[in-house]
Amino acid sequence: MTGLKLALMHRALLVLFLGACYITSLGQSDDLDPVTRIYAIKNAHIIQAPGRIIDNGMLVIKNGIITAVGQNIDIPAGARVIQADSMYVYAGFIDGLSHAGVPKPKEEDKKNKVKDPGNPPNNIAGIEPQRDVRDMLDPNDKSVDEIRRLGFTVSHTVPYGRMLPGKGAIILLSGDNPDAMVYKQQASLYSQLAGTPGVYPNTIIGVMAKYRELYRQAEQAKAYKSLYAQGANGMERPASDRILEAFYPVIAKQIPVAFKAEDVLSIQRVLDLRSQLGFNLVLADVKQGWDIFDKLKSSDIKLFLSLDLPEMEGQGKSDTIKVDKKEPLKLEADLEKKRLQARKDEVIKKHYQQPALFSSKGVLFGFSTAEAKSKDIKTNLSKLVENGLSEEAALAALTTSPANLFGLEATMGTLDKGKIANLVISDKSYFNKDSKVIYVFIDGKMFEYRDKPKTKKAAKVIGKWTYSVEGFQGVNTGDIVIKGEEGNYSGTISSVVTGDTNDLSAISVNGNQLSFSFTVVFEGSAIEVDIIVTIDENTFEGTMTPGEYGSFSIEGEKVPEK
Amino acid sequence: MKKYIIIVLPLLFSLIVQAQQKGSVLIKNGTVLTITKGTLETTDVLIRDGVISRIGKDLNTPKGTRIIDASGMYVMPGIIDAHSHIALDAVNEATSPVTAEVWTGDAINPLDVSIYRALAGGVTISHALHGSANAIGGQSETIKHRYGTVDPDVLRMKEAPRTIKFALGENPTRVHGGGQGIVPRTRMGVEAVFRSSFSEAKQYMQAWDKYNDGKNNKGFKGTAPQYDLRLETLADILRGEVIVHCHSYRADEIYMLMQVFKDFGIKKLVFQHANEGFKVAPELAEFGAMASVFSDWWAYKFEVYYSTAYNASILHKNGVVTSINSDSGELIRHLYHEAAKTQKYGGLSDDEALSMITINPAKQLGIEKNVGSIEVGKDGDVAIFKNHPLSIYTIPMMTIVDGIVEFDRKNDADDMRIYADPDETIDVTLYGTGHAGDRCMQDAQFLFYK
Repeated sequence: MTGLKLALMHRALLVLFLGACYITSLGQSDDLDPVTRIYAIKNAHIIQAPGRIIDNGMLVIKNGIITAVGQNIDIPAGARVIQADSMYVYAGFIDGLSHAGVPKPKEEDKKNKVKDPGNPPNNIAGIEPQRDVRDMLDPNDKSVDEIRRLGFTVSHTVPYGRMLPGKGAIILLSGDNPDAMVYKQQASLYSQLAGTPGVYPNTIIGVMAKYRELYRQAEQAKAYKSLYAQGANGMERPASDRILEAFYPVIAKQIPVAFKAEDVLSIQRVLDLRSQLGFNLVLADVKQGWDIFDKLKSSDIKLFLSLDLPEMEGQGKSDTIKVDKKEPLKLEADLEKKRLQARKDEVIKKHYQQPALFSSKGVLFGFSTAEAKSKDIKTNLSKLVENGLSEEAALAALTTSPANLFGLEATMGTLDKGKIANLVISDKSYFNKDSKVIYVFIDGKMFEYRDKPKTKKAAKVIGKWTYSVEGFQGVNTGDIVIKGEEGNYSGTISSVVTGDTNDLSAISVNGNQLSFSFTVVFEGSAIEVDIIVTIDENTFEGTMTPGEYGSFSIEGEKVPEK
Repeated sequence: MKKYIIIVLPLLFSLIVQAQQKGSVLIKNGTVLTITKGTLETTDVLIRDGVISRIGKDLNTPKGTRIIDASGMYVMPGIIDAHSHIALDAVNEATSPVTAEVWTGDAINPLDVSIYRALAGGVTISHALHGSANAIGGQSETIKHRYGTVDPDVLRMKEAPRTIKFALGENPTRVHGGGQGIVPRTRMGVEAVFRSSFSEAKQYMQAWDKYNDGKNNKGFKGTAPQYDLRLETLADILRGEVIVHCHSYRADEIYMLMQVFKDFGIKKLVFQHANEGFKVAPELAEFGAMASVFSDWWAYKFEVYYSTAYNASILHKNGVVTSINSDSGELIRHLYHEAAKTQKYGGLSDDEALSMITINPAKQLGIEKNVGSIEVGKDGDVAIFKNHPLSIYTIPMMTIVDGIVEFDRKNDADDMRIYADPDETIDVTLYGTGHAGDRCMQDAQFLFYK
């Protein structure tokens, strides 16, 4: 190959790469103001609200507001016309709980050594209710676009943290700066039943006790403060305490406590706190509420069900498993495995059916995405519909219900004249598995997601990873180190259990798949161990196959570089 | 042509109940071991709406009452375990030497299959104790084994008084002194922690009393002490509202704690383990302290070497209310065997031996008016055995809680979990769970290794 040819090839690659970059950047906010703030969405199938549909309709947006919706509407002068023939237009989705717009904090320094773990500083103990998510927002954080491209336009977004991470806000998933994103500041006091490793409160019993104590101290301090305001003369000055003061609007019922509680026990623990302390409650990311339906219904709480669903192996199986008679199940262990699998599937199915159940009982609920991976959310919504949730009910849970639950119905939740221009436009019915979101409008600003080519970039594997494998001898952990460059990797794997370090061979990266092998000597014979994992940024999951010894699931995460 | 066998999945295990249930059963023609009122041959026990309503011969069957034929079998009160950590999502809040404010009642896990396993050993009540990492540990919860609910509240035994866990010796000194370099590092330090904590609580009570006395006076400008859940709990101990269950081994320390309690006027005291309790049995009896011990388990750490299997018998014969406990999800399944060991080591009578796992632990938990013997008016908690429960050949056949059959050997499915884990890796290979399922130091291990 001549030098010229090589140079040309490089150039071609460069163009291709840049091209891909350019297309990818569509959907991101532009630096320039748009030419017009008037849009006319034409010939669309408009779902104004669940059950309220206009065929061949037109929707006009002016300066961030929906100004007209219906049939036979004139296109206003200066409007940018969106030809939406055969497309579906919905009100923008509202996320009941997420961290959208908040950059994920880096893994905490392990050297948070405190002198007395029973009495750590509040920030180390995860007690930071005075923080405000507004101070953490970054409109360019990838979490914003990740859910926006699914149709979400508004999110109840909360800080990361542990027991009391700070105040949440209702934000628009667009805006050039943090303040521009905020629709309603201090919308909730965010709380989790999460202790802090190594310091107080560490366990669920510590967190529950600490929560009660802080709340009652805040009630006491608030009452004293108002006494002081009535007649300060002769009274001891009330101490200023930003932790306790953060509870004041909750105690005054001006804002709710927003609790994340996924499993059936956590939910009930939160309900215990609520009934003892008496705060208004937003209960979000609920996964296992089917057996405590009455408690959830009777207690007048704002409910958001998680869009994170457990995965069922071998999707599509019905209630019977067909077994080939030619390969009879010989071992009792095989039969037991089948039975265990069936019980597991049954519980997973309950997760899938939960929204349908709640809907059939007439409970108002929205959805939340805090724990869901954005790539699964749309599939999961389809899964919920396949499991009995009507499309109308699903849409309500994404639009009108959360608008009502958060008191936003005056401006959001439906496509009616006068509401904020938050909408999502898909090429087919949104709940159709194959549908694609084409446009999202937020606050009248257009984001286009058409024609995004799949850029299959090789995952970054170089660096040090920790792994853990669950085998029959318990959990094995260790490090995997990968060096070199694309196409020429080398590396080692070490085990904490055996203390051995082995060289890796056949390291290959294909998209986000990493595979490699290594050889261990076990009782005198060499065993080739194959590992295939799927990398998702800084974590991986996959399987380890040690020769004929079955296969085990392996997972791990990247050790951050210093 | 291929032929298929169809495996129909087991029907959904839908035994989940929302509220606490009470049942009615008539147990006919059993040998009734009442514990407190002797042994009654060929006698019926009628439980109506969860309560024992009649004991006698040839009782009529009220409408809607299930009849259980106990001919040739032994009917005894449900077994009570005064020291257990089953059905808990957290055992130790091990970050501080004093954590009186925490409560295992917040960590109740009704989904724990250990509850069913305990039922299969005739155990109807267990004391879900906080662990022994801290000198003053957490408040604990007495639970009834009403298995089949997802509601932690259903498990709580509402009639049971409050209890709290204390701990002496190596555990608190290793965790806090050894692990963190704070008090207590020594046994002296443990005593100092008790004394300073109670003194602080006394000051707290006095400050509140002063505030409450003055607050209704005209022109009152005083400030209340800041609400403190830890001191509130310690104050409740001083007021006699909480029974202290103290993890202990050595006689000198057991004696020390009684001195501390005398100084602060605290009377409700049960020593847990108390392996050297036999050395101070008369002193325990004089104080009115009780003891909950292992039948024959020791030498698992330095302070637990000086032990004897005669401990329970010696304590009992000195007038100490003594029970035998499990502290383990495994031992809890055969507490009747553990109780029988007091006949080999100390020659206790049948009633004495069985009282160690029935009425005596009931007294230690403050629930002896409700449970612990078969008497009219008490809760319908009953265990039915084939062969005498103190015989090595005994087999638990049925366990009844509040008149509801919670375990029936004839109807005992393999998989009694209430929820399967949706993320579990299905692996039928069994592997060991270590030292007999001891969870006394759960959530605290990380503090030992720095």
